[in-house]
Amino acid sequence: MAADSIAVPLPRTESRSLLLDWLCTVDHKKIGMMYIVYALIFLVIMGCEAILMRIQLARPESTFLSADAFNRLFTMHGTTGIFFVAMPILIGFGNYFVPLMIGARDMAFPRLNAFSFWMTAFGGILLYASFFTGGSLLHGGDAPAVGWFAYAPLTSPAFSPGHGTDFWNLSLLLAGIGSIGAAVNFIATVLCMRCPGMTLGKMPLFAWMNLVTGGLILVAISPLTAAQLMLMADRFLGGHFFDPAAGGQPVMWMHFFWIFGHPEVYVLIIPSFAFISEVLPVFSRKAIFGYPAMVAATAGIGFVSLGVWAHHLFTVGMPSYGNAFFVLTTMVVAVPTGIKIFNWLATMWGGKIRFATPMLFCIGFLFQFLIGGLTGVMLATAPFDWQLNNSYFVVAHFHYIIVGGILFAIFAAFYYWFPKMTGRMLSEKLGKWHFWIFVLGFHLTFDFMHVPGLLGMPRRVYTYQAGRGWGVWNMISSIGVIFQAAAILIFVYNIVHSYFRGALAGNDPWDAWTLEWATTSPPAEYNFSSVPAVRSRRPLWDIKHPEDPDWKYE
Amino acid sequence: MTSHSQSAPRGSVHDQVNLPSPTGWPVLLAVGLALIAGGVISSGYVTFLGALIAVAACVGWFRDVLPQERHVPVIVVPQEIVIVSSRRKVARMAPRGLARARLPLEIYPISAGIKGGLAGGVAMALLAMFYGVVSHRSIWYPINLLGAVVYAHVQVTAPEMEAFHIELLLVATALHITTCVLVGLLYGTLLPMLPRRPVLLGGLFAPLVWTGLLHSILSIVDPVLNQHIDWLWFLASQIAFGLVAGVVVVRQVRVPTWQYPFSVRAGVESPGMMGDGDSRD
Repeated sequence: MAADSIAVPLPRTESRSLLLDWLCTVDHKKIGMMYIVYALIFLVIMGCEAILMRIQLARPESTFLSADAFNRLFTMHGTTGIFFVAMPILIGFGNYFVPLMIGARDMAFPRLNAFSFWMTAFGGILLYASFFTGGSLLHGGDAPAVGWFAYAPLTSPAFSPGHGTDFWNLSLLLAGIGSIGAAVNFIATVLCMRCPGMTLGKMPLFAWMNLVTGGLILVAISPLTAAQLMLMADRFLGGHFFDPAAGGQPVMWMHFFWIFGHPEVYVLIIPSFAFISEVLPVFSRKAIFGYPAMVAATAGIGFVSLGVWAHHLFTVGMPSYGNAFFVLTTMVVAVPTGIKIFNWLATMWGGKIRFATPMLFCIGFLFQFLIGGLTGVMLATAPFDWQLNNSYFVVAHFHYIIVGGILFAIFAAFYYWFPKMTGRMLSEKLGKWHFWIFVLGFHLTFDFMHVPGLLGMPRRVYTYQAGRGWGVWNMISSIGVIFQAAAILIFVYNIVHSYFRGALAGNDPWDAWTLEWATTSPPAEYNFSSVPAVRSRRPLWDIKHPEDPDWKYE
Repeated sequence: MTSHSQSAPRGSVHDQVNLPSPTGWPVLLAVGLALIAGGVISSGYVTFLGALIAVAACVGWFRDVLPQERHVPVIVVPQEIVIVSSRRKVARMAPRGLARARLPLEIYPISAGIKGGLAGGVAMALLAMFYGVVSHRSIWYPINLLGAVVYAHVQVTAPEMEAFHIELLLVATALHITTCVLVGLLYGTLLPMLPRRPVLLGGLFAPLVWTGLLHSILSIVDPVLNQHIDWLWFLASQIAFGLVAGVVVVRQVRVPTWQYPFSVRAGVESPGMMGDGDSRD
């Protein structure tokens, strides 16, 4: 593996424009980049929506936004965040790095890969087309206003006239097809395209976790798709699946949605675990602690996560045995998750830690994900949930996971792999500014958001009366958003600036151990000139340290 | 599944690599399906147009991969990539000649933890019963209290709590033994990791932390139980457990830690663990 190559395409009969190259590409790296750029654009859009909402909530009885516009904004913010930011960006990184890490030339189904991306892309475009239909743009056009989980019977034509709900429904159907295509590709790639010597036990945790994520997507998306087809039947064909007046069951939608919705959380967090599991050891200069336990914990989380959905329905009312079952299964998730946290800490323990920007985001992730997990355990307790469900405590909890956990892991991944993807380093100085300002903004917003929740402030209210004790906490939360927005601007500037003028990265700027660092930055079209052969989980360590290779101990 | 054909065997540098050819059919199929979806909201004509595009894209896609997948050849020009660590090498510690030692080098056997837990449990129980006699003139009081944590059979009145209840005795005994053995095992595992004054850390520090934690949350978790606990005696019994368990554990003979994973010790030959004619040191 001491030699690699640069790609020289053979002369083609027709010249393609740059645009056509990207439109027609089936290269996993380009598709991964498209996923990531697409998700970044939507990250900025959903951030703007959040800013508008926080301006509205900063003061009591504010009239900055109308109730209707606020409803549309929180629906679009949540839907965008889950389906068009977090999922695409995680799938994008998986697309780019799974084949590289397992020594493959591409994904198993390159054309399906391209199709999956474009389905996701058109899903997002269709969703945002809703802003430009119906009423005026200032009031959100005909954008959906049913919340990201679109409970029935709010989605019925009687309560949601117009096409806002249909935009939501159809766009997620399209994106769902894309996600299933991506999942099939991940599973087939990881299982069938590993390089010689890379047994399942020697596969990077990144690949393992994307494999589990692929399985989860396959299982989780299908119930949502089924429910969405039922909703379409209700709205277009006069069906009554969710119409209580005609014998339908709104609660059935809740079950269908959350059978998708809770595993979806793990669809997002497991790839984030994958980032942390790759970055943390490199910057601790130690191999990951407890590799088999990490794999088992990932599979365990994937399995248990399929049996916890009804903890979202504690307040709907369930038999005591139902409550007890879902309390217990939800709490059981904490066990493999705890194993992971302990293993990450044990990886750092005694290591020669380098506090570069990717590592800072990893440490932020560890701390914040732990807190978010603990408030999750609190909410898993049915009586506690009865008190605080649908309050701002819940909003703070899941933002701790999604922003404090997933987004921090994504930032770590950006700083770690940007050099490989572009051949240039992101600025460390700007990265540290980004980290510290974002940490400040995050904690201002979401730490203090717990308090109005505990004081009884329900989520999704567009305003509130003065004198309820919520004002100061909301003001602090809104001030935090300013810092978060500033940090995101720094991040975007860093990416654009470094892409053109960043320091040259070289092939292995972090002295890392997995296969993607054994090729050029950015990698050639075919990844490796010769298919590598590996003998351990850290093939580059083995090459760099022939006197003490890993394979003797695995 | 795509194949990435190569003109030379694996493991060598190739002159040319065949990759799946770029194609516009996937994006066109996605356009078609998106138009079908958009047409549901807007107009049947849009759906019809989408369906036409989707069918055309499917046909184009099939022709791309059947009967044989289309490839585009890409020339490979070898370029030297040197894989070396950018960090300076340092002298390595090799205790007992082991290049990579699993620490600690010696651990207590599992039996040490069990013995320590049981001995500590006896000390704790004796002290607790002594407390019962001194405070409530009954050795059954602490036993009933422990049993009632999981078996709320007894009314919370003083005479009932001081009386003998066989079911509470059985529950409390099972609970006590189980917990003591588990904590003993924990001590057996942890104490070799605490090389300085393990008994002090295990016997004093750990009980203090545990008691403080429990004291801070029990009023929320179980307020009734909280009212019946004398925290000073509770702390004393925890310390008694910790000291006795710690002393018993550290007096056991340590055994060397297994330095290689089971698969290696068992001689399992799997890819990565064999080859090069290396004999494991």
